[in-house]
Amino acid sequence: MMPNFAVGAFILAMIALVWMLQKHEFDQQMATLARDVQWAEQTLRLHMQSDQEFLQELAREAPIGEIGGVKFQARATQYLTINPHLSNIAWIDAEKIIRYAAPFETGAWSVGKSLAPREQEMGFLAARASGRPMYGNAHVNEFAGPALELFVPIYRGAIFLGAMVAAYPVSGMLRHLVPAWFSEKYHLSFTGAGNLPLAENSAARPRDERLSYSLNFDPPGNGMQLHVAAYGTETNLAKTLPIALIVGLSLLVVWSLWSLRNALARRIRAEDALRAESNFRKAMEESMPTGMRAIDMRGQITYVNAAFCKMVGYTQEDLIGANAPFPYWSQEDLIEHGRVLQQALAGEAPRGGIESRFRRRSGELFDVRVYEAPLVDSSGRQAGWMASIHDITEQRHARAELEASHQRFMTVLDGLDAAIYVADLETDEILLANKAFKNIYGYDAVSRNCWQVTSACRPDPARFLAEAKKLAPHQTPLELHEIELQNALNGRWYQLRERAIQWVDGRVVRMEVATDITDRMNVEEVNNQQLERLQQTSRLITMGEMASSLAHELNQPLSAIANYNMGCVNRLQANDFRPEELLAAMQKASAQAERAGKIIRRVRDFVKKSEPQRCAVGIADVIEEVIGFAEIEARKAGVRISVTVPTDLSPAYADKIMIEQVVLNLVKNGIEAMHDTPRSERELAISARANGKDFIEVRVADRGHGVLVEQTEKLFAPFYTTKPEGMGMGLNICRSIIEFHHGRLWAVANSDSGTVFSFTLPLNP
Amino acid sequence: MAEPKVHIVDDDEAMRDSLKWLLESRGLKVELYPSAEVFLRAFNRDFCGCLVLDVRMPGMNGLDLYEQLQAHSSTLPVIFITGHGDVPMAVSALKKGAADFIEKPFNDQDMLSLIESCMTQDSAAAAKRAESASVAQRLERLTQREREVLDLVVVGKLNKQIADELGISIKTVEVHRSRVMQKMGANSVAELVQLTLKKLE
Repeated sequence: MMPNFAVGAFILAMIALVWMLQKHEFDQQMATLARDVQWAEQTLRLHMQSDQEFLQELAREAPIGEIGGVKFQARATQYLTINPHLSNIAWIDAEKIIRYAAPFETGAWSVGKSLAPREQEMGFLAARASGRPMYGNAHVNEFAGPALELFVPIYRGAIFLGAMVAAYPVSGMLRHLVPAWFSEKYHLSFTGAGNLPLAENSAARPRDERLSYSLNFDPPGNGMQLHVAAYGTETNLAKTLPIALIVGLSLLVVWSLWSLRNALARRIRAEDALRAESNFRKAMEESMPTGMRAIDMRGQITYVNAAFCKMVGYTQEDLIGANAPFPYWSQEDLIEHGRVLQQALAGEAPRGGIESRFRRRSGELFDVRVYEAPLVDSSGRQAGWMASIHDITEQRHARAELEASHQRFMTVLDGLDAAIYVADLETDEILLANKAFKNIYGYDAVSRNCWQVTSACRPDPARFLAEAKKLAPHQTPLELHEIELQNALNGRWYQLRERAIQWVDGRVVRMEVATDITDRMNVEEVNNQQLERLQQTSRLITMGEMASSLAHELNQPLSAIANYNMGCVNRLQANDFRPEELLAAMQKASAQAERAGKIIRRVRDFVKKSEPQRCAVGIADVIEEVIGFAEIEARKAGVRISVTVPTDLSPAYADKIMIEQVVLNLVKNGIEAMHDTPRSERELAISARANGKDFIEVRVADRGHGVLVEQTEKLFAPFYTTKPEGMGMGLNICRSIIEFHHGRLWAVANSDSGTVFSFTLPLNP
Repeated sequence: MAEPKVHIVDDDEAMRDSLKWLLESRGLKVELYPSAEVFLRAFNRDFCGCLVLDVRMPGMNGLDLYEQLQAHSSTLPVIFITGHGDVPMAVSALKKGAADFIEKPFNDQDMLSLIESCMTQDSAAAAKRAESASVAQRLERLTQREREVLDLVVVGKLNKQIADELGISIKTVEVHRSRVMQKMGANSVAELVQLTLKKLE
């Protein structure tokens, strides 16, 4: 800003100086011009004054006859000769006729010629009227160009005799009355009335019209004006040189100022850049965890950065200028450090860096990796060696951690019973396999083709690989396949789970986890056998319960038969009888025997069907038979049983006896549950309906004490019972039976009170 | 007093009918009721003999009926007939004072002897009840003072002690005493004590 302002002010000052010089010069020129012009006018007027005096002398002498024509002729001619600015002198009589003229001419001033009207007459008339010399108006003479005449009247007493006339050609005036130096210097011109140009001393026009001067030349000529203009000063070296010098020097100064300014700006920019660069480097050095240490060619430390200081715990002052052994060298490895330093100074430090051990000021040792590089100064000369030092303690620790982690990972993997391997989806190369896998397929499994290796037990790749190969990492993890297969190599059963996962390097790979399920399968088989046994047991238990119920029922007819019989015996012994009485009693006894036989037959039917036989079973028949068994008990317990079965209900696919057991069990439970229910409310509702298109559902709803929601599942646990004498096997067996049929058995609270047991049975195998 | 009878309540018709046939062969009077409710409607306090009750019956069961009868302070002996598995029920009935229970199927002889012993027991109890009622009647006729003297005689006090206690002369005690003996129809103090004890039963 300041330099710009100074340059501007300087330029303005220079311009003002030049302008003032110019003005001064101009003023001087104007003054000179005015002086010169006045001088020229005076000269002109002086000549014209002497001309007037000459004519007045002639005019004075003429009337007294001292001068005649010849004498006039001679004196006028002589006068003309010495005054070349006059063209003619003539003697005009009162009649305006030229009497004599000098020189002899045949032009405008030839003797005997009359004065030209107007221009010449006006001057003549004015001179006659005033009686004093008078100039006529300037006019253009047809012979001699613009001209001016001086009329001097001739009086003898009061008698006007004519006039002496001197003719001035205007150009002649300029040519002869103005000195030659003046004409060279100035451009002179006359203008007549109405600014009519009359004459000029040169055709050359002045360059600078401003440098001019005008003044009235009136008289002699009416309305005449003299214009003077200077031709200019272009050739004046003395005058222009200072200006030129000033301008030139100013330009030089401005240019140098400008250059200086530019140079300054460049310098400031350079300094800014340098500062920024320096700050950047400083920040970089300070933020960098890498330690930097420079040594000169002799091994003396010339530079250390903040990170290095921090690393070793010494200050820059401690380290710069230090010579080997450096304070941060560990005492144990001094010789090795010295050797490494010599190697570095010799320029033989390994390019990949060298691992070393440094000691902090606190005495703590730490591992570093040192890279040496030649330090070249700005002139291209090697000034020493720059070392970058990385603290690799963490790195080593991390590496050790990683290895340990990998070890742990592999230990865990190897500890698993499941055989696990990971394979590339593209190449099918095995990337990782655990011990269990290798135990089956060999210890060289890794990096082999997974399908070859696992040919003994592998799922069909066509079933999942087509899509798996196109999986993007973000779609993982994804289950691909799950299957249970027997391994042809060892005959064991495996559950294979194929899963797409993202591998450590980002690609999508396939992981297979093969879990040995042989034992589980065996257990399942055992479980199935146990279930069958359980069902047998349940059948026996149910039969036992049924036998108890049947025994009770059998008691009725048997007791009745015994009574009838003993009644007859007593009568016969007492010999107190009527035969028809006896007959009736005997008949009644046999009816009761028949009743007992029916009961026995029912038991036999029940026991006979011991093999589970699944076939289409009408659920209405099942319920009817169950009610047959449960009827007595229900009647005794004061329970009403209602049955709702749609007539068009499809038959279930089930073992009739087993389902009867379930329903019977549920009915008996329901009856027992209502032991404490008021008699009028003891109602057991058995209903059946379709459940979806593949199942029927049977419900047994009691109005008993009910079960708590949290107990509903516990109901089915083995040995769970709410009955004091119960064994707790009933519902558990019922559920097993229903699940054996692929149905479901559950309990919910009845909406009013009590519990609803429901089970489903399939319509088809 | 009504004629002693065997009242049978059983929901099973064959059972009812056959029992009647059996008991009648031994000369017992039998009355049949198909349910507890029917029996309750027919029941009055003069019923004597015994009651044979089936424990399990639809509607009011045997135990319920027994409780009802006890509420009516019936003294009718009750024999429960129980089926298999009803034993706990019968035990609780016995605890409440039922005469006995018999499990089906039963031996006819057992049943008959049980019924007969119940009937005998009931008639003895009835006689006792009658005697007790007559003693009570006689006691009613005693005056206040005579009653006081009786109470003290019964606990074994001598005439002198009685006179001191009641604040009367021995002579007066003797007069009251002879009147009590006369009114109660007792010939000796021992007889008087026996009569009074019967009343207390």
